[in-house]
Amino acid sequence: MTAAAGILSYNTVVVAVGVAAVGFAAGVVGSLCVLRKRALAGDAAAHATLVGVACAFLATGRRDLATLLAGALVAACAGLGILVLVRRFTRTRDDAATALVIGVSFGLGITLVSGLPAWGYANSAGLEQFLLGHTAALTAHDAWLLAAVAIAAVAAVAAILKEATLVAFDAAFAAATGWPVSGIDYAIVGLVALMVVAGLPAVGAVLVTALVVIPPVAARFWTDRVGTMVVLSGLIGLAAAVVGVAVSATRPGLATGPLVVIAAAAAFAFSFLCAPHRGWIARRAEAARGLAVRQGGGDGETGR
Amino acid sequence: MTPPTRPIVEFHDVTVAYGRRPVVWNVDLVIDEPCLFGIIGPNGAGKSTLLKAALGLVPLVGGEVRFFGEPLGRVRSRVGYVPQRETVDWDFPVNVMDVVLMGTYGRLGWFRRPGDRERRLARECLDRVGLADVAGRQIGRLSGGQQQRVFLARALAQQADVYFLDEPMAGVDVRSQERIFHVLDDLKAAGRLVVVVHHDLRTAAEWFDRVALVDRRVVAAGRTIDTLTPENLQRTYAGHVDVLDELAQAIAARGRTP
Repeated sequence: MTAAAGILSYNTVVVAVGVAAVGFAAGVVGSLCVLRKRALAGDAAAHATLVGVACAFLATGRRDLATLLAGALVAACAGLGILVLVRRFTRTRDDAATALVIGVSFGLGITLVSGLPAWGYANSAGLEQFLLGHTAALTAHDAWLLAAVAIAAVAAVAAILKEATLVAFDAAFAAATGWPVSGIDYAIVGLVALMVVAGLPAVGAVLVTALVVIPPVAARFWTDRVGTMVVLSGLIGLAAAVVGVAVSATRPGLATGPLVVIAAAAAFAFSFLCAPHRGWIARRAEAARGLAVRQGGGDGETGR
Repeated sequence: MTPPTRPIVEFHDVTVAYGRRPVVWNVDLVIDEPCLFGIIGPNGAGKSTLLKAALGLVPLVGGEVRFFGEPLGRVRSRVGYVPQRETVDWDFPVNVMDVVLMGTYGRLGWFRRPGDRERRLARECLDRVGLADVAGRQIGRLSGGQQQRVFLARALAQQADVYFLDEPMAGVDVRSQERIFHVLDDLKAAGRLVVVVHHDLRTAAEWFDRVALVDRRVVAAGRTIDTLTPENLQRTYAGHVDVLDELAQAIAARGRTP
């Protein structure tokens, strides 16, 4: 019965609320990211965060969440900056440049995080939990910080939804009508970096992009409107985060991150199969109906 | 101070390059009255590039483009744009009304959302292109011709004085082509300038009042009847043997329509 008591403790509830807020915001921000086809940029930002966590610890000697996440955010933005520079000045293609940034920054991050104890930083233990996410270590104070970041990100999306949708749909038209396309792009990718960093404690650097990418892709199956997709994606992210935190709280051996991702993937699989119109089953049924109509039509005058 | 008859659009010595490769060069072109203006030329002649240069979508290596005597930045709201249909993802989660409303965003500015006035305008524009009955449909569930008309309606919602259209007739059924042409003709009648990048020589002669023949530079420009001459067409399409048949038809069409 200790597990049940663990769920109900004040700290666990606050942490669950904070992580749920992050899940919602990640789904909301992720919608813009996926619609603008920038999912890989989020992955580059995520893998760069570990370097930032290690450097923030090295520079300050502190290991409170705000300090470490500030370092992660700087590193995420630096990773994205390097991505832009590699693309522009080495004529490396987008996918190769992204893979390069992911690999190099992650290798560097792992080296730093795993090397710190060996180099005599005894109190650095725990940093490796940013690899796969571990909510049990979060305090209520940490959770409020995450919730505040999440609310700010959702507010930012609400403010620029019209502009971001325009750029995501038709960047050339946006530019021709005077909108600063690259500025809006930077805002979208910057918000993605922010949510990747906020998702770090719960989901970890390796998997946090999944929290940004899977909910919008799942939400897309249910709707043909951006506004609905954004809200739905947020709710899927929220549900995945809550499931992940709850399961890992009751089964102490399990890291939170993989559980969150598995929950999100389940939502994706359900959406892919069962959504009306765009879901697999609905499309098969529609195709079968179309076939029946054509066959019933007789002399080939029906349909296109 | 400013002369009363400023040209609507003027290209002065415009050169555009992608990387170090020049695509169009030394383009001088002045359009000083409302009309249907065709930019005609073979594939890869830089027609679309010229259009994008005018709209500030590709940087100029040299020269300048002016609208009503002003640089583009000061008159953007007076310039409408219909991009090529293939440039966007038609599976995007927006409906027809959403796309047409995008034409009002330029005037709305940051953070303001379209309201009743914008919706009424968008509905009017949809009506003009004959799509009022599909306003709520997801854009992927339209035919190619309908998609092109959605883009035209979005440009109409910009309420501009100059319209640039990039290959609006490409991959479009005949009925949609006629509808589009009809709308463009109305725009001209209402005193707007309509500039169309077009590759079909057969229809060029009937549709446009004036044309510019472009093959990386302006080969000839002026009234259609004076410009689509066998000599000019041969100079523009030199080396493009595949269109010789079209050439013959275009010249024949020119003979038919005064």
